[in-house]
Amino acid sequence: MDKPLTVLRVSLYHPTQGPAVFANIPLQLQHDISPLLVGRGQDAHLRLQLPSLSRRHLSLEPYREKGSSLLVFCLKALSRRGCVWVNGLTLRFLEQVPLGAVNRVSFSGIQMVVHVEGGMSLEAFVCCFHLSPLPLIYRPQAEETDEWESIPQEQPPPGSGQQAPGHLGFLHDPSQTRDSPPQPSPGGGTEIQLQREPPDGMLC
Amino acid sequence: MSNFEDADTEETVTCLQMTVYHPAQLQSGVFQSIRFYNREKLPSSEVVKFGRNSNICHYTFQDKQVSRVQFSLQLFKKFDSSILSFEIKNMSKKTNLIVDNRELGYLNKMDLPYKCMVRFGEYQFLIEKEDGESLEFFETQFILSPRSLLQENNWPPQKPVPEYGTYSYCSTQNTSPTEMDENEL
Repeated sequence: MDKPLTVLRVSLYHPTQGPAVFANIPLQLQHDISPLLVGRGQDAHLRLQLPSLSRRHLSLEPYREKGSSLLVFCLKALSRRGCVWVNGLTLRFLEQVPLGAVNRVSFSGIQMVVHVEGGMSLEAFVCCFHLSPLPLIYRPQAEETDEWESIPQEQPPPGSGQQAPGHLGFLHDPSQTRDSPPQPSPGGGTEIQLQREPPDGMLC
Repeated sequence: MSNFEDADTEETVTCLQMTVYHPAQLQSGVFQSIRFYNREKLPSSEVVKFGRNSNICHYTFQDKQVSRVQFSLQLFKKFDSSILSFEIKNMSKKTNLIVDNRELGYLNKMDLPYKCMVRFGEYQFLIEKEDGESLEFFETQFILSPRSLLQENNWPPQKPVPEYGTYSYCSTQNTSPTEMDENEL
């Protein structure tokens, strides 16, 4: 009997070029347990058409924690030029972070929210894609401690990164990311308002 | 030699040295595909696979008992670190991977210590990492050990040997009769 597959529900958003950037995104993609490559290149499993993206920009690597029967994922930054913002942490080339149940990811102006629904199968997993016409990641509510936001940097030096029009800030203080604990809370800590799912454009 | 003087400063590369042993290595040819002592330069984003299938794996073993992909190694960078670290992942459903005294099941992974013994089946790999500056490349080198690595390196680690002596001086009593000159009696 086949075991249920782990499902990654991936919502994608780009402020200006959504239709073009996501032209190659299928409704659904089944992948084996090798790392899933995301980028501009021909060999990327998830091909995004954005010139500022690296050919291999990031990967989602499935693995298993000791004692657990579920497949889990590690996101690794593969871009030398750009970085990847994940759940409040900025990843640079070859840095990686385990994903939790809900994950907010941003890179080169693309916003990606990944919900991981763990399954027992260790053969493959499935990605279901949804293209959102509206931003996915908002500034969170003010919290008890003083936290201030800045626009995430896509390239050093600070402040010179390209800002998409209508782009709302992230809870992202560059100095705080380096002080973050090695294992950041996987999307659970800060309140992020996800946009209500639009009735049209639901692909999965 | 203006080219030499003007060229960019060369960066050192992280090197992974793997000393391998299999009890039947001479008769069976399990390591015949491995180029021993050859330093191979690989991109740092590469996932290096070890196993029986030469279409998938970078390093292959001629042994039907080895899984098509037995295990993989990949580099990553820890936060606030300037050097590269390795992760080892068991890719075999059939055989557990033992890293020092930790056992990894299928798809389990762990950070690779600087020096460690990796075992699966009868295969022994003593893996040692030398840090380098480069984030772009790393090097691998295989060495063939003529004898078992478990004895060679006193693995698991034992008490340190005293600098000027051997165990026999320190620990055993001298039970052999002492020779005496009969004139001393």
